[in-house]
Amino acid sequence: SGELYCSLPNPRNVHFESINMRNVLHWSAPEGTGDGVLYRVKYSVYGVGKWIRKPECKNINRTWCDLSNETSDYEEQYYASVKAFLNGMCSDWMETTRFNPLTDTKIDPPMVSVSSTEKSISIILTAPEKWKRSPEGESVSLLQVYPGLQYNVSVLNKKTKKRWFFSVSNNTLVVPWLEPGTAYCVSAQIHVTTPLLHSGFSEEHCIATLKDKTA
Amino acid sequence: SVTEIRSGFTAIKANIQARDPIRTLSILSHPHSLHKVKASDRCCITHQLFTFYVDKVFKHCKTEDSYVNRKISSIANSFLSVKRKLRQCHEQNKCMCGQESTEKFKQILANYEGLNVTSAAIKSLGELDILLDWMDKSR
Repeated sequence: SGELYCSLPNPRNVHFESINMRNVLHWSAPEGTGDGVLYRVKYSVYGVGKWIRKPECKNINRTWCDLSNETSDYEEQYYASVKAFLNGMCSDWMETTRFNPLTDTKIDPPMVSVSSTEKSISIILTAPEKWKRSPEGESVSLLQVYPGLQYNVSVLNKKTKKRWFFSVSNNTLVVPWLEPGTAYCVSAQIHVTTPLLHSGFSEEHCIATLKDKTA
Repeated sequence: SVTEIRSGFTAIKANIQARDPIRTLSILSHPHSLHKVKASDRCCITHQLFTFYVDKVFKHCKTEDSYVNRKISSIANSFLSVKRKLRQCHEQNKCMCGQESTEKFKQILANYEGLNVTSAAIKSLGELDILLDWMDKSR
């Protein structure tokens, strides 16, 4: 019946890697198979009865497959599976654990922009956008996905090395009573309380307060 | 308490979900998603679900792993305290059950009873993040 004899070692470590809900399936090649292995990918919505093949990842030789499009509804959970083929032989289908885009994604740091006056710094924070199908697609901020999203902001006085931390919910922060003519460096992190998620800290954005005109 | 439930569940999520081999059936999310429940029915559905978990799920979730068992009982205790608060709302008529929530909860019970009790309980426990995600979103 042309049924392939599946004795090829299995793909290993099949898992989703997700950043800002860009959900990419990754795996490692079967042990000891070298070059020439091809793969097929399928996925399923948890609770729904069927596996769906991913045509763009049929007979591929790379070890990843972008399933962002297929897993973009973050109110659902998913499984994905990979099968390897080599010289007429195949492996078993190897599955991920249950993938929940809402809790299993990583979040990028926020964008930070700063401006200054003589004695204050104004900081504007922008949460990253959820992955979208195409640049023209509708932009959805992660703020809309995670209503409890907050920003942790660090402000460092470069002269005194004194550092302050702030935790804010809205996206603007004004830090008053600063020293004129002094450099300050700002970096920020996203923190979601439930589900518990946080990004790394952004790069530092440094700016100097204006010199005191009266001095 | 809900945060404690979330952190307790996160600690055992992979372990519990790995014990549920049935991909094609969900207790909470199919065929009707919790996310389609009207705002006016949310309190009642939440109260019914907390009662469901306390009365039908946790007691059937014994595992051979003492760490997992401890986490399950701490989650169950948190459920009990949230359930008490919800009962107060119910008693003060602030948690009315409409037609839709009654239908929705019937569907959940039907899904549950479609499996043997241990599989149904483990599957329900493995779907706690579905309940928690919905509760977070509805806040």
